Amino acid sequence: MLRAQTGVLLSCLACAAGLPLQAQQSTTIGGYGEVHYSNSNSSGSSGVIDLARFVLYVGHSFNDRISFRSELEVEDAKVAGGEPGGEVSLEQAFIDYKFGEPVTLRAGLVLMPMGIINEVHEPPTFNGVDRPLYDDVVIPTTWRELGAGVAGSIPGVQGLVYRAYLVNGLKAEGFSGVDGLRDGRQEGQNASFANVALSGRVEWARPGLKLGLSGYYGGSANSAPALGTGAFSAPVFIGAIDGRYEIGAFQFRGEAATESISDAAAINALYGNAVGSRVAGWYLEAGWNALRLLARNSSHHLILFSRYEEDDTHAAVPSGTPRNPAFDRRVTTLGLTWKPISQLAFKGDYQFRRNAAHQLEDDVVSLGLGWMF
Amino acid sequence: MRIERLDGRWGWASHLTLLLGVSLASAIVCPVAGQTAPPKKLAASLDRVFGSGARVDSLPVDSSLVLRVSRADSLLGFAVVRNVIGKDQPITFLVATDPADHLKDVDVLAYREPYGGEVAYDAWRKQFRGKTTSDPLRVDGDIRSISGATISVNSVTAGVRVALSDLTRWHQEGRIK
Repeated sequence: MLRAQTGVLLSCLACAAGLPLQAQQSTTIGGYGEVHYSNSNSSGSSGVIDLARFVLYVGHSFNDRISFRSELEVEDAKVAGGEPGGEVSLEQAFIDYKFGEPVTLRAGLVLMPMGIINEVHEPPTFNGVDRPLYDDVVIPTTWRELGAGVAGSIPGVQGLVYRAYLVNGLKAEGFSGVDGLRDGRQEGQNASFANVALSGRVEWARPGLKLGLSGYYGGSANSAPALGTGAFSAPVFIGAIDGRYEIGAFQFRGEAATESISDAAAINALYGNAVGSRVAGWYLEAGWNALRLLARNSSHHLILFSRYEEDDTHAAVPSGTPRNPAFDRRVTTLGLTWKPISQLAFKGDYQFRRNAAHQLEDDVVSLGLGWMF
Repeated sequence: MRIERLDGRWGWASHLTLLLGVSLASAIVCPVAGQTAPPKKLAASLDRVFGSGARVDSLPVDSSLVLRVSRADSLLGFAVVRNVIGKDQPITFLVATDPADHLKDVDVLAYREPYGGEVAYDAWRKQFRGKTTSDPLRVDGDIRSISGATISVNSVTAGVRVALSDLTRWHQEGRIK
């Protein structure tokens, strides 16, 4: 009885407070961007500076349950007809239909829920001017495909969320020894649906801690009869773990993944791209906010960090494909990130890029500016 | 009944919203103004924080609306509902105080980003309980961050700091009692 009265009262209050029962529609605009300067000691040049990414988010909430989210990106500042370089692409464009905290249906162009950076890649959220090499040759960031799925929180276990999608598969034709799965992504452009893939992630968070487990299983044959014709023919399996921990002035993060391309021999016989049958990589990073010591009351962050990673796109090779030790890469990054506010980062780092073949090794100095809003 | 809006800073935007038509105005003028708390969620939140069956009155203060919560003539506390921008979407949250101006609880009424949402977890929100305006309410100080949710954590913490300060000041000035 008392509850009912409260309900009626709140309905009136809701009107008075501008809280209509029928939610208003609203459109939001956001975005992020990053400028990179890099200079390799092997290039003999004075370096390259690039507006690497300029991204606009456009979102629309139709009501409390149904919303649209999108991310439109311009890479390298301009795209001109007939000239190399530059790219305009949609990185996300999907509809969410929220049934409640445990279940949101999601459909459209979605980011694969793999690892830390693929889904959340705004530059102030990670250290280093460039994303880790791991997010280039192991998790082919920014990896997005068309499909549908569900996302939500798992009831009864606070801090546990999941995402699970069914999307179009990769194209084995694009796999390569040097870049792994990267050019096998279809990215929503007239994608072949000859193969499908399942991708999912569970994430558990506590203050200071976040752990993630991601998986992917999908076919890549793309109607090539030599690779089979089932929805999951020429399968690619990926398993990945990640963790982030912050305590006081210290922050730590790490990721690891293993990928299996079990029909690599047949793929190489068909396309000759020397694809490895296993791709693997990991990195560990530690950072320290120096301002906790130097200027205790400052709200700025000045993070000194170091990261070590090993990424090998030839962790294993099928018979008939020689293993290339140059694809066994190790990168050490030392750098700093200055964040006057949490949405803006000035970055600088020095990278030692090495590989097991000791070919084309170099050191790179990078400076960067990144923002998000 | 006068139409009031959620957050004093954007009072003018809400009037524009009425004039221009909702989606146009909210897109151009202020994305925050268009976002509101589902009434059921607000009711459930007040029930959770103050116990069910409490009486709720609204007190306009400046251009904010303070919810005064009482039971059988005894004051239980005050609450305000506000928005902050997370990554690019507004986060709608409630801040409740007790009659001694201690923060009773923070509740996230609507989180609209497709990822994240950890600011709604009790393990994070409970850090605010018992805080007063003499506490710094600073991320990485007395409020622990959440890895991978830094932007939301900073926005909500700043929003709570302002809301707690407003409620405390208005109460001490006798504008809400």
